[in-house]
Formats: sequence, C-alpha cells, structure tokens
Amino acid sequence: MATTALTAQIVLKWQNSFARLNRGQPGISGLLSFSEAWSIATAFLRPRDLADTTPSEHNMQDVRASFDILSRSKMLPMLLENFLEDMRKQLYLITRDINTMMSQYENTGDPQYIASLVYRLVEWFQAWSPIPELGYTVISAYKLAFQTHVFSVLPPSFSSGFKDLIASTFTLSYSTSPPSWTMGPSSSEVKTPPVRPDIPLWTAYDTLGLLDRYESLISSVCYEHIEAHVLETCTGKWGEPMLAPLREWMADKVVPWMIMPYARGARTAAEAQSMLQSVGSRFDFHVCKTLSDLRTREIFDIIIDYPDSLSALQDLKECLQRVDQRTQLVATLRKANKRRLLHPGADTKDILTQYVSIIRCLRIVDPPGVLLFKVADPIRRYLRERADTIRCIVASLVGDGESGDSLVDENEPIQPLQQMQVEDYTDPNWEPEPIDAGPDFRTNRPSDVISTLVSIYDSKDLFVKELQVLLAQRLLAITDGNYERERRNIEILKIRFGEAALQVCEVMLRDMTDSKRIDQHVQSHESLVLHPTIISRHFWPPLQTSKFIMPGQFKQIQDNYAKEFTAFKPDKRLHWLPHLGTISLEITLQDRTVSAEVPPLAAAFIELFSEKDTWTVDELVNKIGSIDRSSALKALATWVDLGVLKEDDNSQYKLLETADASGSGSRTAAPRPANIMEDAPAVLTVQQQQAEQMKVYWKVLHRGNAHKPRVTEFGPDTDDAEDCSGYDRTIEQLGAFMEAARREGLVTVKDGVWKLNRQ
Amino acid sequence: MKVVIKNWHAIAQWRWDTGSNDPDDADGEGDVCGICRVPYEGCCPSCKMPGDDCPLSALGECSHVFHMHCLLQWIGTAASKQQCPMDRRQWVTAERKVDSTRS
Repeated sequence: MATTALTAQIVLKWQNSFARLNRGQPGISGLLSFSEAWSIATAFLRPRDLADTTPSEHNMQDVRASFDILSRSKMLPMLLENFLEDMRKQLYLITRDINTMMSQYENTGDPQYIASLVYRLVEWFQAWSPIPELGYTVISAYKLAFQTHVFSVLPPSFSSGFKDLIASTFTLSYSTSPPSWTMGPSSSEVKTPPVRPDIPLWTAYDTLGLLDRYESLISSVCYEHIEAHVLETCTGKWGEPMLAPLREWMADKVVPWMIMPYARGARTAAEAQSMLQSVGSRFDFHVCKTLSDLRTREIFDIIIDYPDSLSALQDLKECLQRVDQRTQLVATLRKANKRRLLHPGADTKDILTQYVSIIRCLRIVDPPGVLLFKVADPIRRYLRERADTIRCIVASLVGDGESGDSLVDENEPIQPLQQMQVEDYTDPNWEPEPIDAGPDFRTNRPSDVISTLVSIYDSKDLFVKELQVLLAQRLLAITDGNYERERRNIEILKIRFGEAALQVCEVMLRDMTDSKRIDQHVQSHESLVLHPTIISRHFWPPLQTSKFIMPGQFKQIQDNYAKEFTAFKPDKRLHWLPHLGTISLEITLQDRTVSAEVPPLAAAFIELFSEKDTWTVDELVNKIGSIDRSSALKALATWVDLGVLKEDDNSQYKLLETADASGSGSRTAAPRPANIMEDAPAVLTVQQQQAEQMKVYWKVLHRGNAHKPRVTEFGPDTDDAEDCSGYDRTIEQLGAFMEAARREGLVTVKDGVWKLNRQ
Repeated sequence: MKVVIKNWHAIAQWRWDTGSNDPDDADGEGDVCGICRVPYEGCCPSCKMPGDDCPLSALGECSHVFHMHCLLQWIGTAASKQQCPMDRRQWVTAERKVDSTRS
C-alpha cells in the first residue's frame, strides 16, 4: 500500500527525469527532440558488418547535434551501455574473421596471414570506433571492450605467429621492395609509400594495443635476433675485435627498429633517446652477455690460437666488465683443461705450452690475475706430479733447437726470477685484491712466465740440476768446438737464476775452452787424431762409468796424448772415460774400404778383429775388460749392419775380408738380437742419480737384518733410517725407494711395515 | 784389414797428480782437502774455478796436501805456528816426485 509520502517521492523523481529530458522546453517538444537524437545516435554508433557495403549516410551535423542533446540530458552512459551491448551482439563477425585467418596461418605457418589479420582487426576497430567528440571515457571503454574480446578469442598459436611477424620486421625494415602484404589496406590511399615498410604494421599493433600486451614477447624476439646475429658473425672469429662492430650494428640496425616498439610518439630525437635509454642498455647488456657466453665456450681454443686470437680476448675483457661471467669462465676453462689437457695422453711440452698461453691470455682478460690463479691451480698441481716437467721447462729455457717454438717469448725482457712479494701497503697506487680473489690468492702481478713456471716447484735447485744434466749432454756431444749457443744460453739463464746457481755450468763451459786450448798445444807438439774434452769431474753431473781398456793403437794414442798433457800440465794427469765420445774410422778391407763413425766400444772391437778374424762374444768381452754383454752385442751389431762382420752360429763373429757374396752383407744378418736399446745417454739423469744414491741405503736395511735376525721390520716413521750418518732423504724419497724395492721383490709390505723378503 | 783412425773425440777427466794417489783408483771419490773438506779437484771456498785457478799446495813432508789457498790462509794465521793442520808437524814442502818421473 503506497503511502502518500512514497507517492510524492515517485512523482518527484518522475518530474525530475522529465525535466532532464525535456530540458525546460515548452510542452514535450524537448522530449521529442531527445527521442529523435537517441535514435540518430544509436543508428550512427551501431556496429556494422564490414561485409555490409551499403553506405550508411549520416549527416554529421545531425549526429553531433544529437550527441549534444544526449550529453545535455546526461544520457551518454545509457548510450554507451547500449552501444556496447550492440557491439557484443556483433562480435561474432570479428570472431569469424579471426578464425578464418588463424586457420590459414596454422595451415601455412606464414606470418603474412597474421599481418592481414592485424590489418583486418584494425579495420573492424576503426569502423566501429565512436567519434572522438564523445570523450575519452567512451573511447577507452570501447577500446577496452574491443581488445578484451579480441584477446579472448585469439588462439594460442597467435603468439608464435605474432613472434614470427615481429621477427620478420627486422629484415622488413631495411627491405626496399617489401612484399605487398605489409601494406595495410589504407596504404592504397597513401600515395607515397612510407619511409620504412614496417611502419604500418607497428601503427596497427599500437592501435590494437598489441604492443602493451606482448611487450615481453617483443623483447624476447629482439634478444633472439641479437643472439642469432652474434653467433653468426662472431663464432670462431677471433682475429678481429667484434664488440665494436656489434655495437655499431646495434646502432645502425637495431636501434631504428627499436624506435617503433619502444619510442612511439617521440617527437624529437632527444625524446626518443631518453625513451630508448633503459631498453637500449638492456639490449647492450645482452650483446655483451651473448658474446661473453660465446667466448667462454670457445675459450680453450682461443687460448690455443693465441696470439692470433688477441682481439677475441680483448672483447672478452670488455664484456666481462659489463657482465659478471667470471666464475663461469673459470669453471668452463677448468673443465676444458681437465678434459683436454690434463690427461696422460697429453705431452708435457704441450701442457706447458698451453699453460703459458693461458697465463698470457688471462693476463689480458684479467690483469690482476685472479682468474689465472684459479685456473692455473689444477694445472700446476698436475704438472708437479709429472716426472718430466722440469726437464721440459729446462729444455725450453735453453731453446730446444729443432722444436722451434720456445715457451719464452723472444721479445720478453730477461729478468731475474721473482720471489713472492709481500704486499707493500705504503705504495700510493696500492689497490685491494679483487673482490672474487680467494683467501690464498697471491698477488704476483708483474712476474714473468719463466718465474711462474719455476715457481711450480718450491725450489729452483731442481732446475739447476736438470739444467746441468742437459748442458752436459749437449757439451759432450759437441765435436766441432762450437758451443757458442750453449754459452749464450747460460748467460741468459744466469740473469734468471743468478750467477751463483750457475757457477757449475760456468766451470763446464770453461772446461770446454780449456780442452780446446790444451788440444791446440798438444797438437802443436805431436799431431794426434785424438781430440779429447777434458772435464773437471766434480763440476759435471755423474757420467756413466765403465771400465774397459782400448786395445792396440787406440791405447797407444791415449798414452801418447796423456804424456803430452802431463808435459804441458805437470801436476795433472788424465783419466780417460773410454766408453764416451765418438771415433771416426776408415777400415780397409781386401775389396773395399768402409768409413764409419762409431762409439769407442765398437772401435775397440774392430781393432781386435785385426788380430784375428773370428771372435766369440765372450772372448771379446774378456779381452776388453768389464763391459756388459748387451752393450757388447750392440757394438758388434753396428759392424754387422755395416757388412764388416758376420754373425756365425754359436755367437761367433767373423770378419768379412771380402763382401759377403750371399746378398748384401748388411741385410743377411737375420733380425738383430733383441738388444737394440735406446742409446743410453752418457749423462745420468737426475732420477738415475738419486736412485744411485739411494742404493747406498740398501746396505742399511741389510745391516738391520743382521742386527735383528728374527724380525726385520722397518716402519716409515721409525728412526732406523737415521742409522746411516748423513742420511738426508725425505720420507717421500724413502717411500719411493722402498716401493721400488718391493717391486723388485726384495721386501714385502704389510700394515705400513716393510719386511725383508728372505727366501 | 787395416783400421785407420781419422778422428777421435774422447772424454777424459783431469786429476791432480798428488804422487800418493793410486793410479787405479779410477772412480773413487778422491781425497778431500783437509782444511775445507772439498775434493782436491774441486775448488776452495774462495775460488770459483777449479784447476789451474785453484791449485793444490805442493806436497808437504808429512805427505799431506791441501788447496793452495786453504793452506796459505792457514799458515798466515798466527795460531798455525807454521804447522801442518793435520799432524801439527812443521810444514815443510817436500821435493816433487813427479818431476823425476817425467822427461
């Protein structure tokens, strides 16, 4: 039951509404004009099918007037609602178009269908768009409704299609003759083609709000584009700097492209620049990251290629300053080293060469040396375990002749070895250690390559010893008296290792000079074919010893020479090392002469054959003195090969006064007895020296045996080793010695205790 | 058969002729100077080059031999009283035996 109050209220409302619509016009004429305006406006706004070609004629003046009326009646919200409702009813038209074109795209995979779809959507959008006079609210509401619908209808495959389309704009933006599909439908009206063929596309995207929605997709397209370009242009090209050309490429090609998605609506260059700044630096970072990733992957080969790959390293350095990839670089390089370098198949020399290259390369990339320190550690540990590391380093120090590439750069100034430096905090240029330096990182900044190599080992004495052995080998092999090269090497090494350490080498060199002088003197008194090198025995590494006496004329010559020598140096005598040196011989046989350069032992044998034609090996050995059988056989084989001797059955050798008729003498000898050993070098290697020295201690073990006849036990940590006065070996050396003894079956080991193996 | 030697490159070591040395002591370590404990064929602590630059002293009558420099330095000190450091007998240089064997 309506109360009067309620009735009055309704009446008031009604009258208010009427007044609003009638706008104070006389009678209901206001109401009539309103209703006319409403119908004009709704007819104008009604979303039409694009396929419906019937021209809709609207008198724009009428339309504007009607909007004005509606606006004054505050009925625009109603109109908008109505319009949106109408639009919703018509949306199936758009859905239909989208579905057709998307299925075309899905069938062909050609992004041009996406482009047509975009243009079609733009057409729909523009056709339905209300006129701007309706105000911002209406436009944005329309836009929102339109986009919401479109986005809800677009199938998932649209994203990938859109991505392809964006990617194609890269090439598109520079092409001079773009395919026709890039032109929007509107372009037929525009007479002059746009400066860049991709511009209509971008405008279309913008209209549809695709740019905001797919922003991350667009940037990922750009990232991928950059990556592809970097990989394509830079992979394997280490000879020239790539970073600068890449940045140039960014500026030339990518930045103009970026203006479209990222700096639309910029009116001035400065404005565009500020809009592009943040996104540009993101892309620049990406360039650096891609390049540094690439170079990190390639680092091992880059180092192999050094110094041809210098530019790549400088690029990497610059990239690393921008991108923090240092740990990755270290990890990758360590892994590559482990896989490709530090395995038993690699030559020590190769490992050293690569190590030196790594040192040089990482110095370029990271001057403070933190990276190097981290990478070098496993290499150094590995090298320390290799037996021939020192020999290799020394060999390359003195220039290994044939192999050519020495580890040392000729241009590098020769410096004394550098010791570890204590940090000098009073230095005004002092800088703290880099942030990623480990706790045991040591700043050994200015040290040169050789110092670094030598510092693999704790002491340089080992190097000097090895150097002495090497020098001795070379000097003893010299017959023409030309050892200028060795002298030069020693002079250089003196700078590195210091005079005192190389004093021994100095004596060796002087022995060479003295020998020459003495020889000249002797020859002037009595011309002899013998030209000895006379050495100071305590200054040369231990030489292989053997006692045999040269027979016949050889002995004669030796004695003559010794006599002349003593006449020249009354207080000195000569002590021959008969098995060393070389003798050049000419053997006159009945039908031929044979010239040969042979070791003294072989010469001694052939001299014996001039006494009688047939000898057995045992006879020869007895005649000459104490030599082992295998070297005797080897010396005889020399002559068998030369066709001077022939091996009969029962190990008899016979002189062939006339060449062996049954084929060439050199080949009749059936396969040589298995005695072909490598030429034992005259000089004992450092290891051999140590082994020799250790043999002394073998006696101690046996003495222990005598003391304690029942159980003979030696633990590595008992004091038994100190039984021997002057014992100066380390536990490790003792361990190695005992291990060698165990291998020979002399001792057995159980629970860390060695036992003499008594049978 | 005739063997003709055209050229012979040999290696030899020199030894001091101390007269007392057994010539067959081929690879013995050799004697050391009683003063500096360095082998005769080495050099005394003040020298760098062995051989003629750091000769041995002449044989003493007591049959001891030292590096020349070592002996001179010892004789030069007041405490030495001109005695041989090994047996405290007056140091007298002996006649060289080697000279007689030669020529």
